[in-house]
Amino acid sequence: MEHALDVSGLEPPEPMERILEALGTLEKGDYLRIMHRREPYLIYPMFENMGFAWHTRPGGPAGYEIFVWRQNDEAACAEIPPSRWSQPRKQK
Amino acid sequence: MQVNRSSLSLDQAPPISVPFRFFLTAPVFGLLAALLLLIYGPEALSTRWAPATLALTHLITLGFLGLIMCGAMMQMLPVLAGSPVPSVEWVTAVVHLLLSIGVLALAAGFLLGANALLHLALAALGGGFLVFIAAVAIALKRIQAPNATINGMRLAVLALFITVMLGLTVGAGFSGMISLGLLIPLTDVHLGWGLLGWVGLLVISVAYQVVPMFQLTPEYPARLTRLLAWALFGALMIWAPLYLAWGSGGLPRLAPDVWMLAPAAAYGLFAGVTLWLQQNRRRRVSDITLLFWRTGMVAIAVCLLIWLWGLIPAEAYRPAWPLLLGVWLLFGMAVSVVNGMLYKIVPFLAWFHLQSRQVALMSMGKVKVPNMKELIPDRLAQRQLYAHLATLILLTLAVFWPGFLARIAGLSLGVSCILLLLNMLQATRRYRQVNQELSEFAASR
Repeated sequence: MEHALDVSGLEPPEPMERILEALGTLEKGDYLRIMHRREPYLIYPMFENMGFAWHTRPGGPAGYEIFVWRQNDEAACAEIPPSRWSQPRKQK
Repeated sequence: MQVNRSSLSLDQAPPISVPFRFFLTAPVFGLLAALLLLIYGPEALSTRWAPATLALTHLITLGFLGLIMCGAMMQMLPVLAGSPVPSVEWVTAVVHLLLSIGVLALAAGFLLGANALLHLALAALGGGFLVFIAAVAIALKRIQAPNATINGMRLAVLALFITVMLGLTVGAGFSGMISLGLLIPLTDVHLGWGLLGWVGLLVISVAYQVVPMFQLTPEYPARLTRLLAWALFGALMIWAPLYLAWGSGGLPRLAPDVWMLAPAAAYGLFAGVTLWLQQNRRRRVSDITLLFWRTGMVAIAVCLLIWLWGLIPAEAYRPAWPLLLGVWLLFGMAVSVVNGMLYKIVPFLAWFHLQSRQVALMSMGKVKVPNMKELIPDRLAQRQLYAHLATLILLTLAVFWPGFLARIAGLSLGVSCILLLLNMLQATRRYRQVNQELSEFAASR
């Protein structure tokens, strides 16, 4: 199931706080769709530390979309929609 | 699905000691500039060529602005573009040491008229800046899809390279190392590239990111962000030879002055757009960094007026004119913006490093990470803003009444720098405390 989170109107460090908070609520099969105005390079190592995988693509209403799900959660990964804004990538 | 998992190294952000070393040293150089103004008084504000004035100017441009801008850039490249500076800890140690030695030797060399110290300064500053430029250039070159900020930063670093080369040339001429004609026009071109090139272009390119991000304004217009930095850089490339041609008697003064209208108008446009965006911000709460930025943008408008005043031939030769322009360019525009940014960068980094460690240790709920306002409370930052504004007003008045006000302005600058240093130390102390608590938590598991 998708959990959508728009952090594009928030002042740092609120986007990071909200994202970390939202990750705590993800169940098996869920993924988080983050709408952000820039690519949040600093948070990626935290995803890795917390056992999450992610995929970032430019586009969406805010400028960037970041999809995050638990590592090895194939069901969640399969649910992520193909890009509507950039050239669709081949599914794994 | 292409997954970015594990494609980034875990140490994406440099250790906190990298930027903090620069941020904690810079106010000390500001304090030295204040001491100099207290000791030398009116002499430091009599003409721009007085040794005390040259020492004061370089303590601010290199010691205060230069150190903070170098530290911030090494921090911002991985954050904004995902491109860390290579060997960042080694580069930091070398750049910080060489620049610090260089600034001290330069100020002392000017004050004592000691050429040996000036030569040491040239070697240290030249070496420090070249290491910085090379390291940052590698990080900037690696960025695959540069945006307006990255393009602006590339031009700013190129402008820094030109500034340093001109500075070394002028310094070698000034200290008798080489025989150099056109010393005065070359000095003006050096400071034109330094202030309107390096400082101005970096402020502009960083503004594209931090003004919408931290002040929640609309984005800058795309056409402006695409063209402005290039236009300014190009305008300076043409202005410099025109100015030197005037200096060697080949052109009337009017030629470089009329050409300067182009970059002056471009800076006016940038300041106007920034103030307009801030007026239309989404969250209308007052914020210390916003007030520092507004001061900086209003100062650009004041600089334009002072510069236009200088176009009246009889006025341009009064010693007050370049001093007044210098006060507003340096303290009004550059110090305001750079100082204001510290109140976002420093608490954010302290918070971020603590938060990252907490995530790594899974210590949520066990150790409380303070929020940004707890790291540097607003009232402390506000107190320093008032001291900075008082300094700006007192310096302006001291240009006209140096005998009466130069030392009072020095005192005010000293207070502002001490308050800034205390605020930086406050964040550092709080960071250390919580980091220690996290270490204790890790050890207790």
